[in-house]
Amino acid sequence: MTGDLLYHNLHIYLFAALFLLGCGLLGVMYRRTLIGMLISMELIMNGAGLNLVALNTFSAQGNAYGIAFTLFIMGIAAAEAAIALGIIIAVFRRFGHIEGGEIKEMKG
Amino acid sequence: MTPGEWIFIAVMATTLTGSLAAVLSGSLIYALFGLVAAMFGIAGIYIYLNAPFLAMMQILIYVGAISILIAFAVMLAGPMYRRPKEWTSPKKFVAALAVVLFSLLVLAGIIMGSFRAATGAKPVIVTTEELGRVFLDKLTLPFEAISLLIVVSIIGAIMLALFSKGEK
Repeated sequence: MTGDLLYHNLHIYLFAALFLLGCGLLGVMYRRTLIGMLISMELIMNGAGLNLVALNTFSAQGNAYGIAFTLFIMGIAAAEAAIALGIIIAVFRRFGHIEGGEIKEMKG
Repeated sequence: MTPGEWIFIAVMATTLTGSLAAVLSGSLIYALFGLVAAMFGIAGIYIYLNAPFLAMMQILIYVGAISILIAFAVMLAGPMYRRPKEWTSPKKFVAALAVVLFSLLVLAGIIMGSFRAATGAKPVIVTTEELGRVFLDKLTLPFEAISLLIVVSIIGAIMLALFSKGEK
């Protein structure tokens, strides 16, 4: 805790990021369709970015690596969303649905 | 409480309710709207963390690009009436919830125990100029690698969508 204001408190940001991670994990585990899993993955990535920025602001004095790596995370998330959209379209064309549990052809 | 703190509470509430809606809602479109609300809330949190450039990028990339991509995926994946319900069996949901709560408890313990801010330090303000210098002076190789990754992923997505086989 660095200040008396509510938003000068590191732990609030860390717990918000933890909440995002929890929501994302829950969604990845129980969602049925691939798009729902993709939305949950975005939540997890945002939690990671929030963690990096909060720790950069409060405990790494005088550099900008946390913010730079959060921008890298955003780029990777954009690439991942594009690839996932392509895969979802391919799966829908081949199987006629996008249920993750029902795609059995590539199961080992 | 100052007005800034009230606005901070509103931003946090937007983020948390948005992410809950993104995970728990039964229809994919409502989940997408929840994701958009959560992204706007996170942009507000970035402003409170003294990173306005990052907040702008958050709105541009997530709300502007990724949400539109997911909306297109929802629209292309067949009509609504042929789509399965998002809820799986309650047993699976309870199991997932148990796993998530356990891991959250462990991680919360780690956060309470080990992370603390540098003592007596003010929050740093990173200017956009400083950020640009970091990108082009020190992180040049990852920066170029990210651009290569995005090009490859876009070409790959086009190839996947163009040359995928039809229904068997």
